[in-house]
Amino acid sequence: MKGVWGKVLKVDLSKGTCTAETLPDKVYEYFLGGAGLAAYYMWKECPAGTTAFNPANRITFAGGPMTGLKQSGAAKWTAGAISPSINMNADTAATASFGIEMKETGYDAIVVYGRSPKPVYIVVDDGKAKIKDAKKFWGQDAYVTEDGIKKAEGADFEVVTIGQAGERLVRYANVQTRKKSFLGRSGLGAVMGSKLLKGIAVRGSQACGLHDSKEADRLNKEVNKRLAELDALKPEWLQIKRVGTAMATELFAPQGNLPIKNYQLADFPSGVKNFHASNYAKELNAKPWPCKYCVIQCHNLCEVKGGPYAYKGKGPEYESFAMVGFNTMVDDIKAVAYACELANLYSMDTISLGVVIAWAMECYEKGVITQKDTYGLDLKWGNAEAVVELTKKIGERADGLGYLLGEGCKIASEVLGKGSETWAVQMKGQEIAAHNWRAQYISALNYCTGVASGPNHERGNSQHIWVGHIRLPEWGIGEVENEERWSWDQAADRNAKFHDYCNIINSACHCKFHEFRGYTLTDMVNTINAATGWGWSIDDLRKCGERITTLQKILNIRYGWKAEHDFQYPKRFMEPVDSGPAAGKIPVGLDDAIRDYYRVREWDVKGKPTPKLIKRLGMEEYVE
Amino acid sequence: MKVKINYEDRDFPPGAKFTEVVKVVRESKKKEPMIQTLVEKTGSDHIIFVLNGRIVKAPEYDSLELKEGDDIRWIHPFFGG
Repeated sequence: MKGVWGKVLKVDLSKGTCTAETLPDKVYEYFLGGAGLAAYYMWKECPAGTTAFNPANRITFAGGPMTGLKQSGAAKWTAGAISPSINMNADTAATASFGIEMKETGYDAIVVYGRSPKPVYIVVDDGKAKIKDAKKFWGQDAYVTEDGIKKAEGADFEVVTIGQAGERLVRYANVQTRKKSFLGRSGLGAVMGSKLLKGIAVRGSQACGLHDSKEADRLNKEVNKRLAELDALKPEWLQIKRVGTAMATELFAPQGNLPIKNYQLADFPSGVKNFHASNYAKELNAKPWPCKYCVIQCHNLCEVKGGPYAYKGKGPEYESFAMVGFNTMVDDIKAVAYACELANLYSMDTISLGVVIAWAMECYEKGVITQKDTYGLDLKWGNAEAVVELTKKIGERADGLGYLLGEGCKIASEVLGKGSETWAVQMKGQEIAAHNWRAQYISALNYCTGVASGPNHERGNSQHIWVGHIRLPEWGIGEVENEERWSWDQAADRNAKFHDYCNIINSACHCKFHEFRGYTLTDMVNTINAATGWGWSIDDLRKCGERITTLQKILNIRYGWKAEHDFQYPKRFMEPVDSGPAAGKIPVGLDDAIRDYYRVREWDVKGKPTPKLIKRLGMEEYVE
Repeated sequence: MKVKINYEDRDFPPGAKFTEVVKVVRESKKKEPMIQTLVEKTGSDHIIFVLNGRIVKAPEYDSLELKEGDDIRWIHPFFGG
C-alpha cells in the first residue's frame, strides 16, 4: 500500500507499553486516515458504555494519505476520541507540523488508551517510542510545557501539549501545538488530562512511499502556484495571507452571520469596526505565521505592545474573536486577543469559552447570578476586564462559578436552573459556533444533525455555500441563489454532501481553507490517487465520505445518541432578531428538515443507517 | 462545443473566446449583494477564473480560445471561516 504506512503506534498508559499494530488495506480504502481512522479505533476498541474519562477511551492522533505531501494544506491532521462535552465520538483537526512529523516516524497514527498512574508524556523518535515522566510539567501552561519538552528531547521535535484546563478536565479543553494550532473543539484536551498525558513529542525522518511521486509533485506545484496567485489577486483586505480569517467580519456582517450578545442581537457597530480586518492587522500588528508547505498562510502572529493586554503570540481566528468579542459585546480587540491567548495557554476552546461567558453574562443581566458569585467581577455585557479575569478562573477551575463554567453551559445551566437553560446556546453538550442560523437555515440543520463531532460548524460547513461561496460542483452543488439561504429546498441533500466532504478532508488530511481559494474535489481525488494508486473517481470519493459518516453514526448510536437529541436545539434558534439582514428569519420547518436529512442519508426514521445503505457501502461488518 | 463551467456543461460556438465565459459568469452574479458591494467599493467584482488548473488573467480573456472539454472554474472573491 502506498501513501500510508499501514501501521499505527498503540500506547497503553496503564501498562506503560508501546507497540506497533498493522492494519489491513481495506481500513484505509474505507476510512482513509485522520478522522476515519480515529472513528475506526473507537469502533474497534471502545464498546458501549465507554465514557470520555474512562481509561478505555481511545484518543487517536492520525494523519492521512495527503499528510506530508508538499502540497499546500497537507499539514492538516486529526485527533478523535469520545468527547467529555457531547459524550459521543468526536474528532477535531489541527495543522502546524505535528502531523507531518508523526507520519515521518513511520506511523499513520498514535492510539493512546489506559490511564497512567502519574503524569507522563510520550516520545516517538523515528519509530521508537517511550513514555516519560511529566511531573515537572504538570500544573504548567501548554506553551511552557511545549518549551520544556523540546528542551528535554530536542528542538526538532514537534509537540502537542495541554495546559491546566486539560489537566483539570474542563470539558472543552483543547490540545495545542507550536503555540499556533489547536485541536480546538470537543474537549480532547480533557481526555488527555484524564489519562495524565501532558504531551506527545514526535520526530521522524522516514518518507512514506507514493504510488506516483512524479504526478504528486506536478500536482503540488500546480496547486500551490494557483492558490498563491489566487490569493494575491484579491484586494489586500481580502487576502487570507494578509489578515487570515479576520476578513470574515466585513464579509459576515452584511449577511447577518455574526453572533452578538449571546446570539440576541443583529448589530454591533463598534465591534464590526474594531474587528475589521484592517483594524485587526493594525492594532495587533499581524504578520503571517504559516504552517508547513502552506501558501495560504492564514495564521497570524500578533503583538500587542504595552498596556494591560500586552502579549506576543497567536492572533485570534474569526471564531475566537467572534465568540469572545462579539458574543460578549467586548469591542476591545486587544482585550479579546489577550483573552483568547490566555485560553490557549490554559488549553481551552475559545468558541465554547465565549459562549459560556456570554451565557454567564446573560445570567448576570437577569439576576440569576450576582457579583457574590462572580468573584466580585461586574459581569455586564462588554466588560473586557471581566472576560479576561473569568477566563483565568475557568482555566484554573477556581471554586464556584469558574468551576461550573468549565463544565460547559449545558451542565452549568442544569445546575443553576432558574430558566437559564433557555439561553444556553448549545446542543448535546457542545456550544454552538459563530455561524448564525438566521443567516442561512442550513447552519441550524448542520448543528442538529452533525455526526462527526456533535454540533460543529467545521464538520459540515454547509454555511459556506453562502458565507464563503463554496461549491461542490463535482457532487452536484453548483450555483445557488442568495434567497435559497432561507429555504429548505435541497438543504438536506446539500447538508449531507458537506458532512461527507468534511469527513473526506479531515480523513485524507487536508486543510479546508484551500477550498476558499479554489481547491476542488478534482484536485483532491487526483492527489489521493497520486499518493495511493487507488484510481478513485469523484463518486468513489463521495462513497468514502459516506462510509466515514456512517461509521460515525454507528458510533453515535453506540454511545447513546437517540433521534430526539437532534431535535433538542437551543430555544434561541427560534428567536428572531428585529433588525439587520436576517431580521425576522428563524428556521421554521427545521424538524421536517431533520427528518428529510435522515431520508436523504438512507437512515430510518429513528436515524439509524438502513440495511440498504449498509449493503450499498459494503459495511456489513461494522453494524452492531 | 462543450466546456465545463464549475463542473456544469455549457455550450459555446466553435472559436469562442474565454471572454464569453467571463461575460456569462459576470452576468449571472451581478445582482448578488456581496458582488455589488465589491463593485461599489473597488470598481471590480474580483471574480477569478481558472482554466484547466491555471489562473487566467484579464489581458488573456479576449485572445484565449476555448477548446472542447475545457475545465473552467470561477472563484468567488469572498471566503468565510
